[in-house]
Parts: sequence; C-alpha cells; structure tokens
Amino acid sequence: MSRIKTCVSLYSLQDEFLNKRMNLSDIMHYVKEKGSEGVEILPDQMLKNAPDISDETVAEWKKLLDETGLKPVIADVFLNTNLYKNRTLTRRESVDLLIKEIKQAARLGIHLIRLVSMVPYWVIEPLLPYCEKYDVTIAIEVHAAMAFDVPETMAFINEVKRLNSKYAGIVIDTGIFCRRFPRVVRAYETQNGTSPQVFDYIDTLFEKGTDLHRVLNENGGKYPADLEAAIQSEHDRMFVPLCDGYENLDYSVLDEYMPYIKHFHFKMFEMTPEGPEYSMDYKGLLQYLHDHDYDGYVSTEYEGNRFTLPGHPMMEKQQVAMQLKYVNECLKEIQG
Amino acid sequence: MFDNNVFKENTCVNVEEDGKVIGFEMQTNITYYRGIPMSMIEYIKVAVDGEEVPTEDIRISLEREDWFTLKEAETVTDYKWEYGEPLYVRVLKDGGLSKGTHKVKLTVATRTAYIPVPLEGIKEREVVID
Repeated sequence: MSRIKTCVSLYSLQDEFLNKRMNLSDIMHYVKEKGSEGVEILPDQMLKNAPDISDETVAEWKKLLDETGLKPVIADVFLNTNLYKNRTLTRRESVDLLIKEIKQAARLGIHLIRLVSMVPYWVIEPLLPYCEKYDVTIAIEVHAAMAFDVPETMAFINEVKRLNSKYAGIVIDTGIFCRRFPRVVRAYETQNGTSPQVFDYIDTLFEKGTDLHRVLNENGGKYPADLEAAIQSEHDRMFVPLCDGYENLDYSVLDEYMPYIKHFHFKMFEMTPEGPEYSMDYKGLLQYLHDHDYDGYVSTEYEGNRFTLPGHPMMEKQQVAMQLKYVNECLKEIQG
Repeated sequence: MFDNNVFKENTCVNVEEDGKVIGFEMQTNITYYRGIPMSMIEYIKVAVDGEEVPTEDIRISLEREDWFTLKEAETVTDYKWEYGEPLYVRVLKDGGLSKGTHKVKLTVATRTAYIPVPLEGIKEREVVID
C-alpha cells in the first residue's frame, strides 16, 4: 500500500518572500489553505542566521506549525565548501558544518535533510552517529544533469548502499522525467537572444525519447552536427550547456533505488490551464510510486518563477495552488 | 539568472558625512536563492556612465555599521547576507555623483554551493541626482 502525501517546498514562493509581499507566516498559511499536508524549507532562505538560528526563530516556526497543522517534512541543506575564496573546506570542516545543520533540523522538529547535489559521499559515515542521536536522516538530491550518470552522485548512492542505514538515502527531483523541454524556458531565453533553432533541435531530441544531457554524454561532450547547425551565434554556443538540466528518463530507472528514496521534489515549470504540468507527467509518476508502495511526500518545487518574462506578473501563488489541486486529484484517483 | 535581484530601485543616493559628500551608495538583493556568509561574495562592480569605478573605492555592509572593502569581505564568515535583505554598496568619491542623470550599473556575483561558476547578476539604472 502506498502512502503518498503532499508537501510544498517554500522555495516555490521565494519571489513573494524576497520582495516582502509575503512573510513566512503568510506563506505557511497559504500552502495549508491550498491543500498541502507538509512543508519543506530552505533554512538558509527564510530563517535568519541559519544554521545558528535563535530560540525566537525556533519558537516562531513551531507556532506556525501549530497554527497550520503542517507537518515539517524536510530541510534543504547546502554545503559551502567554497566558503573561502582561497581554498576549499577540509573534510573535517565540511562534516562540522553539516553537524550544525543536523542539530538545526532537530530544533525545528524536522527529521529529514536534503543534501544538495554534489555533496561528497565521505560525509555520510562521520555524520551517522549524529543522525542517530538527533533522529535526522540525510539524503542526497538526484537532480537533472547531476543524476545517475554523474560520478559524485553515484559515489554517494553507493556509500548509502554500503552503509545500509535508515538514516541515509536519496531525494529525487522530477526534472529527470521531463517529456518536453519547458516552453517557459524557451520563451524567456529566446527573449534573451537565444535562437529558436536551438530549442527546435532540443525539442526533436525529446520527441525521439532522449534529451540534450544524454546526447552530449553519448557524444563525448562534443556537439553533434545537428546541434552545430542549429547554433547561430556565440550567444547560442554559450547558452547550450545551460540547457542540459532537463532529462528524459524512464521511471524504471528508480526500480533499484526505491528502498533508499526518502522524498520527491515535484519540480514544476508550468502548470497548464488544462491540468497537467507542461513538461512532466505527474500522474504517470504517481501511478508508478503507488505501484511501488511509496510511503512519503511529493513536494511542490516551482521553478518557473525565474523564467517570468519582464512585465509579466509573478505566478508563484497560482502555480503552487494549481499543482496542489492537480496532484491531490491524481492521488484521490490513484490511492482512493 | 538573478538580474532582477540586483540593484533595488530608487536606492542610489549620495552619502554625506560631517557635512561633506563622501560618495554614493545603493542597495541590492542577493544573486542567489539563499543567504550566504559575506565571504562568498565573489565580486562587486560599479560603473557610472560607462566607466567602471576602481575596486578599492568600493565598500560593502549588511547593516551600515561595519563597512568592508571587497578584499576584507573575503574573510567575513560570521555575518550572513540574508535572502530578502539588502547589501549596501558604497563607492567612495569626493562629491559623490554630480547633479543630473547618470547611468549606474551594478554587477554582483556570489559563489554557490554546487554550481562551479559564480552566479552573476547585472542591472543598470538611470539615477537622477537633484
């Protein structure tokens, strides 16, 4: 039996927060009102002086959880290995920073941490005693362009398997399941000077069931002749590498990793008026998760905000509400 | 990617100290989606009417109390530039900006946790000094 639950990453409402149209309280109440069960937060984004937050900040957070009834599901954590300009942090410094993050999560009543992609595998073993002590699980994010073909990600996953602890796992970002290249990205970047031919070429890859990331990999990083023909300018050439963060993998890629998956980011570029997201088939994925007895949250992560055209309104609130509605309808149909 | 975060509107003004205009300053949001220690500011550039100001004339502050040169800020790990809070960027220049209209361009770049190149944002604004 699957137990799939909804969640919203407050990352989705970052522009509302940045421009002070909504504060943390407004945002928490909004996502609850729109039907979310859980909440995901980037402490570095919305909590002052994270990970060294004050007792007042913790009290305010707990008060908001009480008021809304939202479940504090996961904290998104980063590792500032480049804290200094002249050197990279040592292993011990890196682990110490993450211990602080584990303690912070515990103070916030959060039992799961998403480690950003590319966090090195060697942090897991020294962190496990702290994970156990504070009852906080750490999970690496598998994100498009930093997914199963990337050595750092695989090293982390292999270490998770080797240590075989319930306190270490994986978070999946659904940007690895794009079936079409997001048209909001195309619209935004076309306006910034990228040629339509580049996007036409990328569209043909998705139609063939592949994606730019895979094609460049298969071609040893070199641009295929079709892509060279599509490139019209130096700007195009600079821009192409930024288009590989959208992968077109089959859900079956998750088969062997399901036991380690702790959480999903339901990446969203654009909910369409017709219902589904433009690039990703949430319903198909939810059915897969149901069939594989997934017990956990699927968390709204809106990223279309950064592709809002100049002069157009920010649609974060509407898009979050549309996705929650759609996912809740799918879950009702699938899970009953 | 974060151009829209850079250079908050209507923030560029001349700065007076002890009855003397010592320069001008402006405010900017962070070119990232999370707060980071000041040491992770990779660089800040200011250009006025097409001419870049010398780096050593730039000072930055989070609360207008402690002002750092860009070189000094490289070691400031205790103070965080929070997401949603401004960084004050000051350019020391006797007399500040002259009366009239200027094109002021601000460039902000931050180092991020996992992206190999710094995230840069640029915004040019027309500034009127009365």
